[in-house]
Amino acid sequence: MALLEVRGLVKRFLGVTAVDQVDLAVEPGELVSLIGPNGSGKTTLFNCVTGYLAADHGRVLFRGRDLTHVAPHRVARLGVARTFQQVSVFPRLSALENLLVFLQQHQEEHTLARLIRTPRLRRLEVEAVERARRLLDLVGLTDKADAAAGSLSYGQRKLLAFAAALMPDPDLLLLDEPAAAVNPTMINQMKSHILALHRQGKTVLLVEHNMEVVMDISQRVVVLDHGQKIAEGSPDAIRRDARVIEAYFGR
Amino acid sequence: MRRASALAFIVMVVAAPWLVAAAVPRQQRYVLHVLIFTVLFAALALSYDLVVGHVGSLSLAHPAFFGVGAYAAAILATRARWPFLADLLAAVLAAAVVAALVGVPLFRLTEHAFAVGTLGLALVASIVANNWVEVTRGPLCITGIPKPVLGLPGGPTLAVTTLPGYYWLALAALAAVVLLYRRLTTFRLGRAFHAVRDNEPLAGAAGIDPLKYRLLAFTIGAALAGGVGALYVHYLSVMCPEEMTVALTVNLLVIVFLGGVGSLRGVLVGAVLFTALPEVLRLAPTWRLVIYGGLLLLVVVRSPEGIESLLRRASGARAGR
Amino acid sequence: MLHGLTLGSMYAMVAAGLALMLGVARLINFAHGEFFMLGAYAFWLGYSELGLPYPVAALLAPAVMVLFGIAYQRTVIRAILPRSWHVQLIATLATSIVLTNLAIIVLGTQPKEVPTALSSRILDVGGFRMAWQRLLVLLAALVIFWGLHRFVARTRTGRAMRAMSQNREACAVVGVDVQRVTMVTFALSAALAALAAALVSPLFNIFPDMGTVLTLKAFAAVVAGGFGYVNGAIAASFLIGLTEALAGSYVSYAYKDAIAFLMMIAVLLWRPQGLFGRRTGI
Repeated sequence: MALLEVRGLVKRFLGVTAVDQVDLAVEPGELVSLIGPNGSGKTTLFNCVTGYLAADHGRVLFRGRDLTHVAPHRVARLGVARTFQQVSVFPRLSALENLLVFLQQHQEEHTLARLIRTPRLRRLEVEAVERARRLLDLVGLTDKADAAAGSLSYGQRKLLAFAAALMPDPDLLLLDEPAAAVNPTMINQMKSHILALHRQGKTVLLVEHNMEVVMDISQRVVVLDHGQKIAEGSPDAIRRDARVIEAYFGR
Repeated sequence: MRRASALAFIVMVVAAPWLVAAAVPRQQRYVLHVLIFTVLFAALALSYDLVVGHVGSLSLAHPAFFGVGAYAAAILATRARWPFLADLLAAVLAAAVVAALVGVPLFRLTEHAFAVGTLGLALVASIVANNWVEVTRGPLCITGIPKPVLGLPGGPTLAVTTLPGYYWLALAALAAVVLLYRRLTTFRLGRAFHAVRDNEPLAGAAGIDPLKYRLLAFTIGAALAGGVGALYVHYLSVMCPEEMTVALTVNLLVIVFLGGVGSLRGVLVGAVLFTALPEVLRLAPTWRLVIYGGLLLLVVVRSPEGIESLLRRASGARAGR
Repeated sequence: MLHGLTLGSMYAMVAAGLALMLGVARLINFAHGEFFMLGAYAFWLGYSELGLPYPVAALLAPAVMVLFGIAYQRTVIRAILPRSWHVQLIATLATSIVLTNLAIIVLGTQPKEVPTALSSRILDVGGFRMAWQRLLVLLAALVIFWGLHRFVARTRTGRAMRAMSQNREACAVVGVDVQRVTMVTFALSAALAALAAALVSPLFNIFPDMGTVLTLKAFAAVVAGGFGYVNGAIAASFLIGLTEALAGSYVSYAYKDAIAFLMMIAVLLWRPQGLFGRRTGI
């Protein structure tokens, strides 16, 4: 069974069909990329999958469970993590806290327990801090742990958001343009991070504009144009697909 | 060293009645009165800051919850002759229930609309207080609210009749509010509150239900305001509709914004500065509001980073700025 | 019924200004009710204290408030426009408090009455009796709304205002003088509030803290009319005025304001796009 399955998804905004009858399946352990020209509906699709937008038609299934009308925070707790195209961090929390807040809701969430700070919760917090520090090490932000996230550079915030998404050890990771607007070194860094996740067996769905990144790391590529899926296949097949070339260079 | 000075400060605050008696024996009553007001306003401002400072919802409905608590306590103490602790508890619960009930629909509104909706609610509450004469006695005020008597049924009791006694009671209440405030605004709860305030869509991606945490802060803030309302009417022994007007919101906004949004120390300093000082300077209430409004305006308009950067919520991040 | 129409005219003039500001400057002016209050006192000063004839005093009020509106825009609004909505809200609320309490200090809390010749002369048409002043309010309101409509639709500045309400950034790019248009908007809004005050003051009392409630009612009309859509706000104002008059005589006089506010909250919740449908611009 596919980990994520999107069936006949339709999303309209004021008469404009942003996502039009899209089918998509991601198998466990796959690294799939979603590409397409600007405004082709990639981010809208992401938002429909993660509960930020309600689809007009069609369904989203995660492990066979219907996510179509589930709120974002519930989607997240089911094991679907996402990043945002615009770098998104909590600017007034420290880098470390930014990571911690991404794990805590997956653990003890009872308000009273949090108010009392039960011994169990304190233990979980110690473990969470350890995990957060390891992830900060991984993305090279060790010495920024206590800095306010808002004070980090654009690239650093992007890495922080990426690490935060990894905090709860999600089953499915949706990355929205992780390599956009960062320098070449950072792009390579991101690429190797994503590949490392893939080798660990994580399932990743990637929206990306940078063709080099997409073609280098993806197992499979799905192409959207005007909200419709126009092609799907291996990077090599996509490179030669006439409709894709048309969509990107045809006008 | 810091611990020692903190301890010294606490001892001084607790011993204030004696210090006052020694320093200004002829004005002892007046100074204590100002201190009691300051302590109550500090507690009220902290309860307000839970909502405005920590989940970033600019509610203007706080006087309504203060009023619900105050009236609940006043009515139960005078008509039903409830003991103090029972009517205090009832005041806290009444305010919390009202907040939870109105919070669910109100939090569907965002930004301006939320502020305007809460202001509408505050005005409705004050109209009801003025006109529901059978219950609130309207502008005639509820009078003869007894001095608090501490104690449980059957056990020994302690009547709080003196000004120092009342000061310590208020101080104990403030201490309880401070403890709760710290518990709520640090560690995992605080982090969840701040996540909702700073970037709501991202909070969702972190598995946080924004509505739940907004409502939690709003309800607890209202409950505490209701409790302060009860203490307030037992101290003054009267409750009038004028106690819950927009002027109270302005007072709280000044304390919280000029003291320091989302900061325990800032709010406490703000409460001392903007409750005790005008009392000591014997400013007329209208002049006080003119000065407060002017100060608020000046700070908001002149300090480029001040309030905005502290308060900016998800709106900026959402638009990608 | 007639009372409802009078109230409606008054709310409509205040709400139209509020809607203009919201549309053009994307700002809710919590001090707008105080514009009305100041306009009313300016009229009282001219008519009762200086003994000017009614038409002169009634035009003096808007003239004074135009200057005030410009001053307000130049000092407060210009500084807060680029800032977050929190800041705008607190700043305009603070202005409202300052103005109200200054008025209390200078003028006292005692309500002022400004009866004119027209407010006590009764027009009797076949048993249907009304004060001439009410007729004047209604006719003047119609003329004012017609003029406002022409101004927004036909003049250069009016068109710039409409354009700004649809896309502020684009206006700045194509060379619309955004500051000037904003200033005209505030001057116009202040004048509308003052005109309303001069028209209805002979019928109602004037007191310093009448602003807050009026702001909220006008805002209720702006919300119901579709956030910043002027004609919608005007229509909704009459609806609120009539509801209030009816609620006042058939339900409860004391709770008429509460009913209006609860209706506003209800509209905010169930029809956030307003009663008359969705549209952008003023």
